[in-house]
Amino acid sequence: MSFIEFKNVCKMYPGSKVNTVDNFNLNIEEKEFIAFVGPSGCGKSTTLRMIAGFEEITGGELYIDGKKVNDVAPRDRGIAMVFQNYALYPHMTVEKNIGYGLKNMKMPAAEIKKKVDWAIQILGLEEYRNRKPKNLSGGQRQRVALGRAIVKNQKLFLMDEPLSNLDAKLRVSMRTEISKLHRELGATTIYVTHDQVEAMTMADRIVIMKDGVIQQVGRPMELYDHPVNQFVAGFIGSPQMNFFDVTVEGSTVRFADGGHLILSGETVEKLRGHNGEMTLGIRGEDIKIVGHGEEKDKADRQTAVITDTEVMGNENNLYFTFGKSQAVARVSKYEIAQIGDQISFEFIPSKIHFFDKDTGVNYMEQ
Amino acid sequence: MFTKKQRRINWILVAVLLILSIFFLFPVIWMLANSFKPDAAITADMNSIAAFIPPAPGGNFFDNYVSIITDTNFLRYMANTLLYAAILIVLSVVVNGLAGYALAKIRFPFRDQWLMLIVMLLIVPTETVITIHFLIIAKAGLLNTIVGYILPLIVNPFNIFLFRQVFVSLPDDVYEAAQLDYCGPVKYFFTMVLPMSKTVVATVSVFTFLNVWNDYLWPSLVFTSSDLLTAQIGLNSITSNENTTMGQTLAVITLVTIPVIIIYSLFSKQIVEGVTSTGSKEG
Repeated sequence: MSFIEFKNVCKMYPGSKVNTVDNFNLNIEEKEFIAFVGPSGCGKSTTLRMIAGFEEITGGELYIDGKKVNDVAPRDRGIAMVFQNYALYPHMTVEKNIGYGLKNMKMPAAEIKKKVDWAIQILGLEEYRNRKPKNLSGGQRQRVALGRAIVKNQKLFLMDEPLSNLDAKLRVSMRTEISKLHRELGATTIYVTHDQVEAMTMADRIVIMKDGVIQQVGRPMELYDHPVNQFVAGFIGSPQMNFFDVTVEGSTVRFADGGHLILSGETVEKLRGHNGEMTLGIRGEDIKIVGHGEEKDKADRQTAVITDTEVMGNENNLYFTFGKSQAVARVSKYEIAQIGDQISFEFIPSKIHFFDKDTGVNYMEQ
Repeated sequence: MFTKKQRRINWILVAVLLILSIFFLFPVIWMLANSFKPDAAITADMNSIAAFIPPAPGGNFFDNYVSIITDTNFLRYMANTLLYAAILIVLSVVVNGLAGYALAKIRFPFRDQWLMLIVMLLIVPTETVITIHFLIIAKAGLLNTIVGYILPLIVNPFNIFLFRQVFVSLPDDVYEAAQLDYCGPVKYFFTMVLPMSKTVVATVSVFTFLNVWNDYLWPSLVFTSSDLLTAQIGLNSITSNENTTMGQTLAVITLVTIPVIIIYSLFSKQIVEGVTSTGSKEG
């Protein structure tokens, strides 16, 4: 049995006619770092709160460590949680915030001190231990919240968008700290975020949700390279995958503006006879800019005019209109182009995805 | 930085407020200055600026105060009132606080209607229900007891409303975090909610103190035993006694005023914050 098991878990709020979380099935193994990602309102936080016991499960069963917890109080589920807004106790100092749960567990004072000291040391909060939350920065508050979670030695950590209130730089460093803590403590961690970068960089597996339904579960690169549908393909990756309305006839792909592309035999085989109108998807880095001197089959080569550029430092994003759609190519920092320049490019054949126009299903991953 | 014009306006405002405060303060200063004088001196100074100047400290400087303290039970009445105020402050904070918390954070049927009812009770003057209170307390055989005096004063719609308004903005995730820290709802109320709402607790405490301290009607109905009387009743009985001198009257009024001034000066910031607070919390 897995450490956490969701069996057809549903959540319907009173007065609503649709499930906010619908038929959620998932197994999470011990010590795994799982990220729930999805846009606002997709049900990821609700799912996390059902695990914590703050939201009633209106359908299905939830097991933690082999025990059905549907009706178990939050305090008895063996969990620790880090909240989006830190939820620190404003009238207590850092060390009292961290030690409060241990005190309520009736732990001897000496042991509490030892554990609090350990958490304070591991999180680098030594000089702030006697400060109250209002005298701490966002990053320090978040560390206190982490400290409060780690001292209790719980087997399951829940994190509800813990970095969303921090600035970009601090978010990156806290990301590393949380990953390090997870490695050191080995507790199963469920991390909710709307930031796919956080999910990609931290999680062992990612659960992508939309409208309360799991879209795909998998390792980060699995989702990135093999999205099962257009939503996952568009959600994971920045800049997001390029999508073009196309018509496929055998090995010929026709774009909305009349341009065309000849598919390799392997790609046609993967399409398994799907023809007609569909959506072609390709990531920016899989669009290869072709230099003037390069010998290449002209049939695969496309041209477009740069409409915008983004200089990222380590790479450049070149925006252009192609097949009546806006597209972006990620190129190395040495490939410089100006707005108005004409570029020649080709799609790397093995990286092309074809999605059903109505359902969004990725034909290449069936 | 203020501009020249703003600075000029500020000066004018300060001057106007200063004049106004002198107008409001002059009876207090007059009372304080004359409470140290014998009646003859009070009458002699009445029409001069000396009426606002206390006599030089000397042998009989505190005579009026000494006679009030030694010849009457006024200190006892003050101690009684302080005791009633202390009990009522604790009960008011706990009872009205719990009611305010329930109305702010706990979902139960007709919650909003309850709140509406409580808000409507704010417009009912105490005097209109005092007869009913008296009849109930008399029927319960609690006349002339501390319990009979305190019981009808515990629940106060204004305090409930004040608590509710502050508690409603307390973040829910702190309660959730506390739950995971093995803190039950009652412990949460006393160790988290009240300390997080110090301002409103201070405000309610001050208002309760002032209500008890300044109340005349209710204690005069409930109490007949002189052992239980409050400061206001004591003040009235002393000042209406024809043997009491003007100086003694002013001394006893000064004694009654002192705790109010102390409380206001200590908690004026909290009172203003508590009443105007939207309850936004840091941290």
